[in-house]
Amino acid sequence: MTPEELFQAKKAAKKAARRNKPDENASLQLTSLMDVVSIIVVYLLKSYGSDPVLITPTGGQKIPMSKADSPIQDGIPVYISKRAITFGSKKIVQLDENGDIDPAALQNHLIGPLYDAMAEEADKAKQMAVAQGKTENDWSARVILVGDETLKFSTLVDVMYTAGRAEFREYAFCVIQSNG
Amino acid sequence: MARRKKKNEEAELEANLLPVMNVMFLLIPALLLAMEVARFAAVTVTPPKFAAQADEKKEEKKEEKPLNLKVFIMEDGYRVSAQGQQQGAEAGKSADSNKPTIPLAKPGAPLDDFARYDYAKLEAEAARYKSLFAHETVVTISAENSIPMQALINTMDALRGSDCKLLKAMMGEEVPPECYFWQPIVEAGAG
Repeated sequence: MTPEELFQAKKAAKKAARRNKPDENASLQLTSLMDVVSIIVVYLLKSYGSDPVLITPTGGQKIPMSKADSPIQDGIPVYISKRAITFGSKKIVQLDENGDIDPAALQNHLIGPLYDAMAEEADKAKQMAVAQGKTENDWSARVILVGDETLKFSTLVDVMYTAGRAEFREYAFCVIQSNG
Repeated sequence: MARRKKKNEEAELEANLLPVMNVMFLLIPALLLAMEVARFAAVTVTPPKFAAQADEKKEEKKEEKPLNLKVFIMEDGYRVSAQGQQQGAEAGKSADSNKPTIPLAKPGAPLDDFARYDYAKLEAEAARYKSLFAHETVVTISAENSIPMQALINTMDALRGSDCKLLKAMMGEEVPPECYFWQPIVEAGAG
């Protein structure tokens, strides 16, 4: 037998062996991928749940930058964009193109519709506090003012005055932490 | 027969992980969308009627005249007053509303140019007052109606001190000495 014939015979034998072999089921090894994905999900869940208040600025709103590093504490957010004041996901008052509050809604620094909404929220919070066995004064009376960077001081003062009249005692300005 | 049974028992049972993976892959974009892109912080502000802490300190140190630091943000600069006396006012006058104590860093810049104020000079003033009144932490800030919120926040940052970190103080540690006036009272029409 020549080397060429020997090679061909070996090749034919291998081919025959391959044909008789049953098909292998290719299975994907998901365990390691599963580990990685689980770690990512746990990390994302942790970073999602770290802040007590979820701040969702309204469209076109630019939150001011600050060097402050104090975390946001639990409270009720009031969004003041260039065009409207939003409370409890409802547009309460419209602002004009100069950033001033609609005069019909404003009476001696008090923003009527905002006061009604905030007072209602304050009453709910007080009832919750009483139901939890606390006194009426133990409710979280903190309001988080999420304003636009161009928000006029006069409008800001009116919102703060209205919140004060609705028995909110603590105020915090929401800012974006700047590194510089 | 017994040998065949043993073979069946040893066969590995693999859990079907594909449905779990599907859920996980849906969770990742959902959580990424809900995640904060920017890190939010809070500047705690005290309304005028709740300036109780300042009053307590006044009682503790009765022999020392309170600082009563006030900063008024005007369109043409800052007016700073302490102990009822405006800085830079004419002799014999407690206030001179025509002139700012700290003029603009960029005169003629529009109101929405937030770098128009001289924050560095204001911070230097705050540091000077802090060295004279080490126990004082309260400052009353007011502004003209047209002043934008970013200018107010930058003013608060300057008065607090650019190196001031209050995070540890909120967890019970002492307020660091590089923090000057970190309890702002926002007042309407004060000057």
